Amino acid sequence: MIIVRAPMRMSFVGGGTDLHAFYSKYPGRVVSTAIDKFVYMVLNRTPLVPKYSARYSISETVDKISDLKNSRIRAALEDLEVPIGIEIASFAPLPSRTGLGSSSSFSVALLKALSLYQGKQMNKREVAEAASRLEIDLLNEPIGKQDQYAAAFGGFNLIQFNPDGTVTVEPILLDYKKHADFEDHLMLFYTGITRDAASVLTEQKANSGKKFEVLKKMSDSALTFRDTLLKGNFEELGSMLHEGWQLKKTLASNVSNGVIDSLYGGGMKAGAWGGKILGAGGGGCIMFLAPINQKAKIRAAMKQAAGKGKLSGFKEIPVKFVQSGVEVMFNHD
Amino acid sequence: MTDFIKQFSSQAIKALEHVPETEIAKALSILQACFERGGRIYAFGNGGSYGLASHWVSDFNKTVFSHHLDKHDDRFQAIRVPSTTEELTAWANDVGYDMVFAGPLKNLLQDKDVVIAISSSGNSANVIKALELAKKRNVPIIGLSGFDGGKLNQMADAKILVKTEKGQYELVEGVHDVILHMIIKYFKNYFDYQIERNAKA
Repeated sequence: MIIVRAPMRMSFVGGGTDLHAFYSKYPGRVVSTAIDKFVYMVLNRTPLVPKYSARYSISETVDKISDLKNSRIRAALEDLEVPIGIEIASFAPLPSRTGLGSSSSFSVALLKALSLYQGKQMNKREVAEAASRLEIDLLNEPIGKQDQYAAAFGGFNLIQFNPDGTVTVEPILLDYKKHADFEDHLMLFYTGITRDAASVLTEQKANSGKKFEVLKKMSDSALTFRDTLLKGNFEELGSMLHEGWQLKKTLASNVSNGVIDSLYGGGMKAGAWGGKILGAGGGGCIMFLAPINQKAKIRAAMKQAAGKGKLSGFKEIPVKFVQSGVEVMFNHD
Repeated sequence: MTDFIKQFSSQAIKALEHVPETEIAKALSILQACFERGGRIYAFGNGGSYGLASHWVSDFNKTVFSHHLDKHDDRFQAIRVPSTTEELTAWANDVGYDMVFAGPLKNLLQDKDVVIAISSSGNSANVIKALELAKKRNVPIIGLSGFDGGKLNQMADAKILVKTEKGQYELVEGVHDVILHMIIKYFKNYFDYQIERNAKA
């Protein structure tokens, strides 16, 4: 059996600049961190059971790879020509489509596990590239590369997408006190609204020519965000998030909506320094940076707004930053 | 006599002033990730560096949780390789001196682990053999080297090079010792801080 895990991520600035349509013209940049919510992938060889078996939110057992419903598992097994007689199961603490990059964490963990299963070794960069290839080239998803890199590398990073297609990962090295301080000023809420990143990103991709200047500004702001983060100025980081969110809303019509706006507005009115919607937008999670003594007030305001919006899945998610990227937890094949 | 003392001290100060901060920070991050995934740390080196590895491992294991051993659920262990003199002499005698680290590591090393390799020249054959094994298994390498860093510095993920003229073993080993103690101090403070923070929450 092989057990591999990959963390989900929170992205602070630069989302959207990791799309090829943009970074082929100007370097895209993102600042993100891995968090303590992991996708676990378990692989097991079953020589006496000639089936392909996949267990995630549902369970499927089939005779041919092409009969698998899960597109990621199907494409990966086909691409790697994995012989029959394998069980694949995934575990995650949160549902998909929360804006925490979980689908790429899934791909990263899956491909790392499959490489070990086939007796190969892949380093973090190779796994990130393989996951990007799976999602963008093989599955034609209109997404960027930031999530695959965040999940593979772990920790806080400034990730730069170069016009020649290469990716530079610069770790942002924060000590434990700054980590803890940041966590103490951070609030994360799951809206309960699930959305498909593809719908937002498809429009965003189509707009990326028109919105070039906005995206350029977002890419450049990642550098300032990094420097401010190293100084530990969380109030300033909060207002940078706020500005970034205002910019992002202009990228596609469905990045935000009435319910999201009232949730975000509620948190800001209750004293948050700033925040944003995580992921491509349209739903998922809302993050705030706030003074510690305003957190109770923000929590109450958010609960109230969620009640008004009839968001039954609304929940606060406690979160810690982790240094871990994709990791092999168990390997006895 | 005091001239000699002054001269050596000023060389040591100069070497300390130029420790590669970013690389040490990278080493701390690598160790942090190792702790999060429940991995172990294997340290090794030859001669004085073997002594440094032993000293570091014993200090680390004894002190890292010492203030609050019962309040932490996770564990964080370091092991010197090989852990007994018997293994060292057996590998050297039966197989060859170049296998004294790689041999035992083949048995110990798992994907979750980290290695700390200490070599002033950065070119000790047995250290490099062990690093080749770590590389093959994708295990992160923290490398403490001196002089021009040698092969060790090229292979390491965290390249802690104490740059000196060739042959300045005293300076290099002395500064390595300070850096190794700094790593322990960092984690000691970190684990203490976790308890303080939990108490406040």
